[in-house]
Amino acid sequence: MPSSPFLKPRLVGGRFESHDIPLEFLRDWAVFEELVLEVAKWRFFEANPGRQRSPRGFFQGVSLRLSTVEEGSAIPVIVLSIASSVAPMLFGSDVQGYLEESREAIVSAINAAELNKSAADHLPENCLGYFQVFGRSLRDGEAIEFDTGTNSARLTTESRRRLLAAAKDAIVTDRMVIVGTIPEADQEKGTFNIQLADESRFPCKELVRHQKEILEAFNGYKAGVRVRLRGVARYTAGGEFQGVDEVTSASIVDPLDVLSRIEELGQLKDGWFDGQGKAPPPNGLSWFAGVFDDTYSERLALPHVYPTVAGGLRGEWSVGSREISLEVDLKGRTGEWHELDVNTDEENGRSLSLDLPAHWKWMMERLGELGALRND
Amino acid sequence: MTENTLLWRQVHPSWIQEGRPTSQTFKPTLKDEGKLSTYDGDAIAAQPSWSHFTGTLRRESMGVLGVTVGEFQAETLPSAHDPQPDFPQHVSVDYTAFSSGQIEKKSKRLRVVATTRGWQFLPG
Repeated sequence: MPSSPFLKPRLVGGRFESHDIPLEFLRDWAVFEELVLEVAKWRFFEANPGRQRSPRGFFQGVSLRLSTVEEGSAIPVIVLSIASSVAPMLFGSDVQGYLEESREAIVSAINAAELNKSAADHLPENCLGYFQVFGRSLRDGEAIEFDTGTNSARLTTESRRRLLAAAKDAIVTDRMVIVGTIPEADQEKGTFNIQLADESRFPCKELVRHQKEILEAFNGYKAGVRVRLRGVARYTAGGEFQGVDEVTSASIVDPLDVLSRIEELGQLKDGWFDGQGKAPPPNGLSWFAGVFDDTYSERLALPHVYPTVAGGLRGEWSVGSREISLEVDLKGRTGEWHELDVNTDEENGRSLSLDLPAHWKWMMERLGELGALRND
Repeated sequence: MTENTLLWRQVHPSWIQEGRPTSQTFKPTLKDEGKLSTYDGDAIAAQPSWSHFTGTLRRESMGVLGVTVGEFQAETLPSAHDPQPDFPQHVSVDYTAFSSGQIEKKSKRLRVVATTRGWQFLPG
């Protein structure tokens, strides 16, 4: 089956430092293929205004394939593959040309969104809806970079949101992590409501799938037992939570749960500490929540987490006579590690780059050596 | 004040999680110019100090910890009366002789001292 180079985007961010790609991104790329074909069809009809339909079998035997992943954060090499039995006919009808036009239009739309210009000048509104899935696996601080010849068009959480805002259906589905209590559950219907910190309630369907956790939270409602739901939710283009589409996992929240603590600290305003005290930056909190959630080992004791007056975070662990702290600069994405044995005065300190997996690994190994292990 | 005099330190609500105060409680902030604000425990009890702090001074406190003058001295941190117009029981603990690294160590030790003694007042 002949194939030709089609696209070499660059995935940038901490999760791609080891030059591989999390499996969850495969879904994004599967939808990218659909997007490329849909935009190619649109290009065909633009070029042939008299046609009502595309030629029979226009894209039959055509597929995009991931051939390898190159280094340089992580670079998936995507090739255009055309079945040999249909290749001559396809090349005759210039399908490859339409696919390349499609690629250029998609990259131009991404570039426009990043520059806060109109993505709809490059793609029809219905095609912009594909960004509901393509790019959903990206987290704050991550990007997919496409070479435009003169610069890099960057698909980020922000530019994706702008692309979706330009789509016909401006409701965005996105990855969701929410924490709340369960005031209501209907075992017969298999539904429940989750109540968020602001007391708003949203219906969810998958009670049977997550019965153990949901009923434990339901029974502990008055004691404040909270549950974390992960899955897919609907948001407005402005990011306002609209409701839950799918719950893929549910877990009871630890009282020291770092993600919900971060959510709580996100409510702080400038001047929170006697008129001084900077509010932690929302994008910094979001970054730290993501990297902590991805990286921190479940076998380790959770830190107590506090805001700093400078607008950062500080994690603290007390292990026997050892007092351990990690002070996090949310803008610089760095941390100052310090441990002190209050009996012997022995201390140890280190500056950490919290974008580097190796530094998280060091920190977790050190916590393990110091005996900061979870009790349960 | 004697070396046994307890000095009350108010703890901001965001600096307590699940009942545990952060060691930042015992670090002066930039605005404090190297001096930690406390109440003279010989002049005012823990509960009225909280009422004064949250009422008269209109500041936030979720509880009161106590460290003695002698315990601060053990960290080479001198304390002295520093009365303010609306805060006559004010005592400043002077950290100005120390680097941020040294203050980090002292604050950790003082947190342990204070929490071993326990909360001196928690609002109901």
